Amino acid sequence: MHDRSQNTCKIVIAGIGGQGVVFLTNILTEAGIAANIPAASSEIHGIAQRRGSVVAGITFGENTFGFIEEAGADILIGLEPLEAMRCISYLNRASRAVIDDNRQLPHSINTGKNIYPDVDAFIGFLKSNIVQVIFNRTFDANAPSVLRNVYILGRAATLEGFPLPVAAIEETLERRAKKGTVEEAKLTFRMGLEFQSGGDDVGH
Amino acid sequence: MITPAEILASYEPPHKFCLMGNEAVARGAIEAGVRGVFAYPGTPSTEISETIRRASEAQRRAAAPDPIYFEFSVNEKVAVEKAIAYSLGGRSAMCVMKAAGMNVASDPLMTIPYQIIGQPLVLVVCDDPGCFSSTTEQDSRYWGKMASVPLFNPSTPQDAYEMTLEAFSLSARLKMPCILRTTTRVSHSRGVVGIGSITVIVQPPGFIKSPQHLNIPSRTAAAHRDLLAKLAGEDVGKSQQRTTKHLTVLRGNDGSEDGLGIIASGVAASYANELIARYRLQDTLELLIIGIIHPFPMQEVLDFLKCGFSKVLVLEELDPIVEDDLRLLVQKHNLKVEIFGKGFAGLSTVGEYSLDIVRTALTEFTGIEVERPSPLPLDDVKALVNSLTLRPPTMCPGCSHRATYYALRLAIQPERTNLVLCGDIGCFAMGAFAPFQMIDTIHHMGMSVSMAQGISEALRSGGAGQDKTIALVGDGTMFHSGIPSLLNAVHTRANIMIVVFDNRTIGMTGHQPHPGSESPLDALQVDLKSLALGMGVEFVEVIDPKDIAVSYRVFREAWERRGVSLVISQSPCVFLPEFKDKMDVMKRVVVDPNLCNTCGNQEDSAIVCSRCATPESNLNKARAKLTALKTIPALEQRCPANICNHGFFTALLNGAYGEAIQIVRDKTLFVRVCGDICPRPCEYLYREKGAPVVPIRKLKRFVAGRDDFFLNVQLVRKPEPNGLNVAIVGAGPAGLSAAYDLVRAGYNVVIFEKEQVPGGLLRSVIPDFRIDKTGYESEIAILDQWGVRFEYGVELGRDMTLEELSIGFSTVVLAIGMGESQALPVIEEQVPPERRSDAISFLKKFNSGASPIQRGASVLVIGGGNSAIDSARAAIRDGASEVFIAYRRSRADMPAFDEEIEEALSEGVKIIYNTVISAVTQSSERLSVEFSSFSDGRPSGIHRYDYVITAVGQKGREEAFASAKLPLSAEKRIIADEATGRTSLRNVFVAGDVCAGNHVSLIGAIAGGKRAANGIRAMLEGYPFAYEGRKALEALNANPRTGFRGDDGVDFATFDDFSRLISEYYITQPCRQCNHCIENFGCPALLMVNGKVVIDDSQCTRCGLCIDVCINDAIHWAAPDEASFKREVILSADS
Repeated sequence: MHDRSQNTCKIVIAGIGGQGVVFLTNILTEAGIAANIPAASSEIHGIAQRRGSVVAGITFGENTFGFIEEAGADILIGLEPLEAMRCISYLNRASRAVIDDNRQLPHSINTGKNIYPDVDAFIGFLKSNIVQVIFNRTFDANAPSVLRNVYILGRAATLEGFPLPVAAIEETLERRAKKGTVEEAKLTFRMGLEFQSGGDDVGH
Repeated sequence: MITPAEILASYEPPHKFCLMGNEAVARGAIEAGVRGVFAYPGTPSTEISETIRRASEAQRRAAAPDPIYFEFSVNEKVAVEKAIAYSLGGRSAMCVMKAAGMNVASDPLMTIPYQIIGQPLVLVVCDDPGCFSSTTEQDSRYWGKMASVPLFNPSTPQDAYEMTLEAFSLSARLKMPCILRTTTRVSHSRGVVGIGSITVIVQPPGFIKSPQHLNIPSRTAAAHRDLLAKLAGEDVGKSQQRTTKHLTVLRGNDGSEDGLGIIASGVAASYANELIARYRLQDTLELLIIGIIHPFPMQEVLDFLKCGFSKVLVLEELDPIVEDDLRLLVQKHNLKVEIFGKGFAGLSTVGEYSLDIVRTALTEFTGIEVERPSPLPLDDVKALVNSLTLRPPTMCPGCSHRATYYALRLAIQPERTNLVLCGDIGCFAMGAFAPFQMIDTIHHMGMSVSMAQGISEALRSGGAGQDKTIALVGDGTMFHSGIPSLLNAVHTRANIMIVVFDNRTIGMTGHQPHPGSESPLDALQVDLKSLALGMGVEFVEVIDPKDIAVSYRVFREAWERRGVSLVISQSPCVFLPEFKDKMDVMKRVVVDPNLCNTCGNQEDSAIVCSRCATPESNLNKARAKLTALKTIPALEQRCPANICNHGFFTALLNGAYGEAIQIVRDKTLFVRVCGDICPRPCEYLYREKGAPVVPIRKLKRFVAGRDDFFLNVQLVRKPEPNGLNVAIVGAGPAGLSAAYDLVRAGYNVVIFEKEQVPGGLLRSVIPDFRIDKTGYESEIAILDQWGVRFEYGVELGRDMTLEELSIGFSTVVLAIGMGESQALPVIEEQVPPERRSDAISFLKKFNSGASPIQRGASVLVIGGGNSAIDSARAAIRDGASEVFIAYRRSRADMPAFDEEIEEALSEGVKIIYNTVISAVTQSSERLSVEFSSFSDGRPSGIHRYDYVITAVGQKGREEAFASAKLPLSAEKRIIADEATGRTSLRNVFVAGDVCAGNHVSLIGAIAGGKRAANGIRAMLEGYPFAYEGRKALEALNANPRTGFRGDDGVDFATFDDFSRLISEYYITQPCRQCNHCIENFGCPALLMVNGKVVIDDSQCTRCGLCIDVCINDAIHWAAPDEASFKREVILSADS
């Protein structure tokens, strides 16, 4: 946690409109309330949907209001690598990150006007400079892609110092997942939580 | 499970709840007893409306007494007007809108404070500092001052909840509306809010009559005074007390004047709060948070200032409203305190604040260095982040707006005209981005129709030739503010075209209904088309943009007519049930990688293709595909030299004549002569007689006749010399074509030619009136420049033998042609030499200006091939009085090209069929020639001529290669392998007329030379590809007769004719140079992976439009067992 004396924790979630950044934000804040931790969040949405960049901040602890300053994030959850890169100035040397290698090509890259930046170099940089990195490279091809964010949440919950108890998250998923997908959502969360990393995907 | 809406609507909710600022406002309104909410969607306010709407529905479902009435009004003006009326009808009301919405509603806002309302009325307006989704970052707090209305500005969701209750309470006491103003950060941030319970307030309906409802000039002055008195009164005073919070009280009023104070409002107060707590600045700073902006809480601020501050820092986003009021107060009361605000420590009127900005200001204000967490060691993080590829919002896969733009782009070609496209606000405005970039102006809601008519009028009255202007507007916006503008356009007879992007919803804000769409409420749906017709719009059409052909036609029609044209492009947004219910997830769309970005012309992708495929040129192809009357597969117009007719035609479609010539030159040097005399097998080999074909030769002649592009031959890649030598014997078109291909493949080429100039029979024998030779000579000279060595005056057999060549060079190409005429014994023996000639000798003399024909002579030509025709036509030009051709069989049997025969006949040449010469005698000065019938041998007449030309066939010089003992055909032509042109001698190849079976024509010679070059490469380098033109060459050789296609009847002397002609046709073939779907259509589900387009199944919404868009016909519905693209592939691909 960023500031033990003040017991606060700040999480940045980066992704693109439609990936479920807002959904995860709501899960985290509600799980915080369920665990009796003061929680707040802030996001920009509305026009940012339609596959544009979306960033959200979640803060736990007194006297925080969902806002995150430069180098102020304890945890970065990157649902998309390029968007995670865009949030690099929120990180500090004590940060931890989960980055999902779920690349979504913006139009200018699709047409060849730009190239997608080097994700491996970015992950390498993070591994050398922050405390813990989880780089997720897989997701079951049979699982619904709309639950991918829940899977990543599961992986994030294994980060050291993750501020929420797993039970609070599962309880919130029960209450907030879309009708008919509750069991799948809880299962997918568990899958992320219990994923045994090996090979490429290394936290340290 | 209880939904959030149900919780928010419930009478006894949990006490603490994590709420978004907007949800907190909604809850506050519900607890305050609001009975009617009138809203228009608008970021960042929309959640307030949606929460109330769902709460209202939850109440109805639960059969609650007196459920809230909710409507999305047509626009914010109507919403506020109706809310005022609702309040006057005895029911408490609220309006919700974005910042710009208050601009629209300003008329009723400004007027009503001079009068009275009934039950409380609160107007909620949401600003957007930083302009995340707005047209301006206006500071709506000014409305408080401007309209003389109390205005509250919360800092947190808890604040928003409390101030909503306060606003309703104050409105009830004052009998005037109050404004609650938030910003995006407060509206969209979540925090724990302690909420209360709902008390049922009975609000019996009924309009109470009063003279105050009449706003007439005689009342206004007094009304104004009353208004100001209200604002100065006790009720406002209580609200000011309750909403102004003095935090971190450290010191008593000890009067000392060296303290530091902060006055903050809005989200800036939260930043200050957090930083003061984090860095334990409670001992240094005192904080006053202002909630009510107007009327300014003077008393509370004065009380705060009594703490004794030397300096006060004001923290508020956007305009210095609190700051200026503070300065005014300080000045009026003569207080000694220094005030810091905008301009200090980087605090700006522009954009949002942030924790970092406020931290900087606090550091500078207090002089205390606050500890910062250790950032990452990136030299310049900002530069790095700024260099990352932007990701602007884009239309979803399946978006109907994308379909509309595509058809519109094809129809009006904005890149070619000066026309102005006036856009508006909404999802469709993303058409301003790539790939469409089809919007020139965007201002505020409803501006599109006004802008279009205004520009059109300026152009017209200024005398511009073209004044048609286009307005692009969404369906929601059209109903919001487009109608009065449309009315104006009709009334003033504007010349505009309006395209309504009707996706059946207000999309950008989250799919709210509007009067023209389906509505969950029991609402009447208004038909825009009928409305427009009723207004007097003469041209109104509703189209389905997914039907590109129809859309294209309607757009063109609307564009071309004068007056107001309205096209409603109607197809549901992908988020709507109307779309989702029809979407069949089991259907998948796939791209065939063998057709996508694949060359349909040749297998070897290393062969240079000079096609410059730009997005615009691909659009031209797409348009031609849509509009051509005659679509012909390129496979059915193949060329034996494999000239890419598809590329050639497409270049012409784009007006790129140089490129068209270059595409021909990818395969052969000889552009102009092909245009002149090619028998055009591409036009008859594969298509049935009468079926339409693209008149390739005609087009080639037109383009090749232009000198400006003619000699622009590019050697695209200078090849590495491969150290292999090739000898080519014969510098006619066959030999030259072999040389062309080989020198480009890095070979060292030497051409031996017995004459002193290159060019073969084409140059020396074919007359100038048949072909333009000037280009031919320059084209041959190019080989010179590329290092082909020519040795003139060297004759095979006399100066060197085939054996010597085959030893001295890696390979030899024999392309010596058939330069000798066959003899006709009866003429040889019975006609004196000065009165006869063989066709070849005659034409050589004719071409060099030394024709033996006298003016007025009577000439007989014997034979039926092209040489016979050429000779006859030459004789005509020599001034012969009459020219006869005697051919032994029928017209249908004549080997000459049909059009040449027609030309000759039209020039006055006469042809006698079924005739042979039996005897010739000389009498006086003339020859008496005896004809007999070929079929039965009977004499058929005696005629007198001055000169006889025999054109009974050509043959090669057998002595040239007799020593090699090559197998020969009956006509003494060398037999060679059909696939490679190789003879029985291991390294000797043949090409052209001397090769048995090779079609005797220019194109046959060119193809033969290329085939030999291909065979050589296969033999020496292991070149793996068969000759690209082999299929067409085989078909040509199997069909020795040329088929006369018949003229198209269009001779395009003028460019307009040419344009008209090519606009009728389209030649279709997959092309390697494509990317049309990505560059001109841009669906996010189309990904470029390893040079091919694939469809991301997880994003695809199965609209199927890309199938129609693809100009390579490479996309189709997947068969049940056909695999889709798997996303994991992206990780290993070169993106």
